[in-house]
Formats: sequence, structure tokens, C-alpha cells
Amino acid sequence: MKLQHNLGGLEGLDPVNTETQVFVEPWEQRIFGIHTAMMALSNHLGDSLPDYAIEEVPTEFKSFWTWGHLRMGAEGMHPFDYFRLRYYEKWLGGISGFFVSEGYITQEELDARTAAFLEDSEQAAAPLPTGGDPAIDAQVLKYLQKGDSPKRPLPAPPKFSVGDRVRVKNVSPGEHSRLPGHLKGHTAEVVLVYEGAFTYFFKTEDGIGVPMPVYSLAFKNEEIWPESLTEPNSLYYNDIFEVYLEAV
Amino acid sequence: MPSNYPGFKYGADRETVSAAKVKALESLLIEKGVITGDTVNSILGYFETEMGPFNGAKLVARAWVDPEFKARLLADCNAACEEMDFPEGMSGAEGEHMRIVENTPEVHNIIVCTLCSCYPWPTLGLPPYWFKDPTFRARVVREPRKVLSEFGVELDDSVEVRVWDSSAQIRWWVLPMRPEGTEGMSEAELAGLLTPEAMMGVATVKV
Repeated sequence: MKLQHNLGGLEGLDPVNTETQVFVEPWEQRIFGIHTAMMALSNHLGDSLPDYAIEEVPTEFKSFWTWGHLRMGAEGMHPFDYFRLRYYEKWLGGISGFFVSEGYITQEELDARTAAFLEDSEQAAAPLPTGGDPAIDAQVLKYLQKGDSPKRPLPAPPKFSVGDRVRVKNVSPGEHSRLPGHLKGHTAEVVLVYEGAFTYFFKTEDGIGVPMPVYSLAFKNEEIWPESLTEPNSLYYNDIFEVYLEAV
Repeated sequence: MPSNYPGFKYGADRETVSAAKVKALESLLIEKGVITGDTVNSILGYFETEMGPFNGAKLVARAWVDPEFKARLLADCNAACEEMDFPEGMSGAEGEHMRIVENTPEVHNIIVCTLCSCYPWPTLGLPPYWFKDPTFRARVVREPRKVLSEFGVELDDSVEVRVWDSSAQIRWWVLPMRPEGTEGMSEAELAGLLTPEAMMGVATVKV
């Protein structure tokens, strides 16, 4: 079990932090932008919908990078680090580690430049380098406008129908999963069968990544958690890939 | 085996170090030809002008004044977006498949992503800090009324609370109730009343 997958219903936590800003520190905007550019320049987009001419984009970025990869990094962390670090701190660690491991930069380069900025406030405040091919930014804009739809034709009829009771399988999440752990083993009612099938960025050990039906399921909280811990009159809905479900 | 885990300790230079590291990374990526000197600024600018909660606010205001539009929005959010005078891209990144659920006197909806931070970028923009915080994600699914009260929303037990967790690729958001006393308002004035929190189900709309 990975704690990162099993957040739902944890006890003993504090009141929620209701901070409404998106970015609580200016630097967080920069790592968000870098991650979004990586998604927009990812080499898988040539096989995506729409069919981006990604190989013609004049960027040195030639890797496969999606939400799934960012998430896989977060799922692989020491769980206490996952909770110690703020959201964009995890992004900064995962993304800079990726650029080093893929050989775009070296750890020495990154450390030396970071140290230089920390030691010299004038360098730290200096403008970023300029230039680069505008066709890179045109592709980024196109990605923001066109997206990367996972919807595909149905390969086979859905196994379940609206009104069916289903159980969430107790599958091992492997390196990456789209199944919240706190749902495993619990039953729910199918309230909607989404039209078509949905693929995922890549195949995962727990079975998604090929087109399959997705269902909207309604869970009664008292079936997941002890009734003494739940509140009256609430329902909890999840969108679940078919491979994660079995008949009751 | 003893753990070497250092505990939740933060240096006084926590933010300074992150700021230096991300600037070092961005400058290296520009020099190496991965991104340009404009890439990050143009992405941030896109979220200020093209994709953001101002789009969701316009959709909700239109739904409040036009019941037929509301029916179309609830049936197919992406198609309803096409009817609006929006910039291109309302079915773009993180908005390919959006759905909206309606708050009524009987039903109150809230969205969450317990796995991370899935969010409908074209209509709501980027998620606020609280939405990404593990405490909200952990608590709202089991004790939504208590979490709502911490946001200042008190619900009667007779109201059914529905929590929508984005575990696959549908991006959910909420059509809040139109407040009383807004009968004479224009669509643009109505749009001005909306907040991201209202369109995520943790706030009601105030006049």
C-alpha cells in the first residue's frame, strides 16, 4: 500500500487550509510553466488526438512526459517526504531530476548555477536568457488549445450497465495507478457508463493504458468507512476504469 | 533497520533555495534549446487571459438567465462552451471532457481529486492552493459537511452532499445556485458574483 494512493478518509488531520491563491510563492509559477511546456512538447503527441507534427517542432526536448510521469514520481516518493513537501516543491524535485536523468543537463550544472544565484543577489535578480525558436511556443499554444484527448472507439461493449453493483478490485498499484486505494474491495452502484472508451498516456502495471469503458460509480460512505466516522446523507462519486472493477 | 528520516524540518532558506533552483533550471533549459525565453511567460499569460474562472463564470451566468442553455450545459459542457464567444481551446488541455453538476436546495456538490489535482483548466483555470492540499483531499470525501463548515458553508442534514472525485479523465465542476436579490442583474453582473470556490462547491454565491 502506498499512502499517496490512500488519502481518502485519513483521520487525525488539521482543519483545511483555505488559501485561495494558485501560487503561494512567485517561483512556483516557473515550475508550473516548465511542466506545462514539457507536456506540450512530449514526443507521444505525434500519436495523439489531434495528430501533432511534434517531430518537426525545433525543440531539443525529445522525451515522453505527461501527467502520468509527474504522478509516478510523486507515488515513488518516501510517503513522509510526499507530505513534508509542498505541491510545487515536489514538482521542482521531480522535474529537475528528470532533466538530469535524461541527460539534458547535468546535476553539476544545476547545482553550480543554483549556488551562484544563492551567493550573488545581482545574478539571482538578472533577467533570464532570451531567444529560442518561436515555433516551440507555437506548439505549446497549440497544445493548450487542442489538448490530448484520451477518448477512443469502444473495443468491446461495456461489461456493466447503469444500476449494476460492482466491486473495486484489490489490485497492486505498481509504479502508477489511477485507482484511489481507499476504494479497494468496496462496492458501488454504476450511475453512468461514459460514451466511448478511454485510454491512458501509457500502459500501467495495474492494467490501464488501452481503450476501455469508464464508469461513474456512487459509493455510500458507510460502506467504505465505519459509520461512526461518516456523516449523514452524502454520496461519493468516482470515475473508474473498467479493468479495476468486477461483478459483485 | 533504523530510519534515517529527518522529520518535517524546513530550513529558513526554504523559498530562496527553491527560487534559485527553478531559475537555474529554466535558464539552462533556455540555453539548451528545450524551451525559449518566452515559453513560461506565454503559458502564464495564457492562464491570465484565455483559460480561467472568468470563463466558468460566464457559463454559469448564462445558465442562470437561460434555462435552455442550462439544460445544454448540464448535458454536454464542452458543446455548451462552443456556443459562447470564447477563445479557441475550450476543449483543450485538461478540458477535453468536462462535466458540470448543479447545486439545488436539495443537493450540494463538491469536487475533489484525491489522487492529486485534476481540474477543468478551460473553465476554472488553475486549482487554488487548498484544492491541492492533502488535508482537503483526505478529509472532504469522508466528512464533507465538516470541511464545508470550515469554508463557512453550513448545510442542513436534509441536503444531500455529493462529492465528485476525478479519478479518471472527466474534469468536474459545479453550477452553483443563483442567489436571491439578483433578479434585475445583467449576465455580466451575475458573472461578476462568481468565485472559483463557488464553482467547486465550497462556497455559496453572495450578492
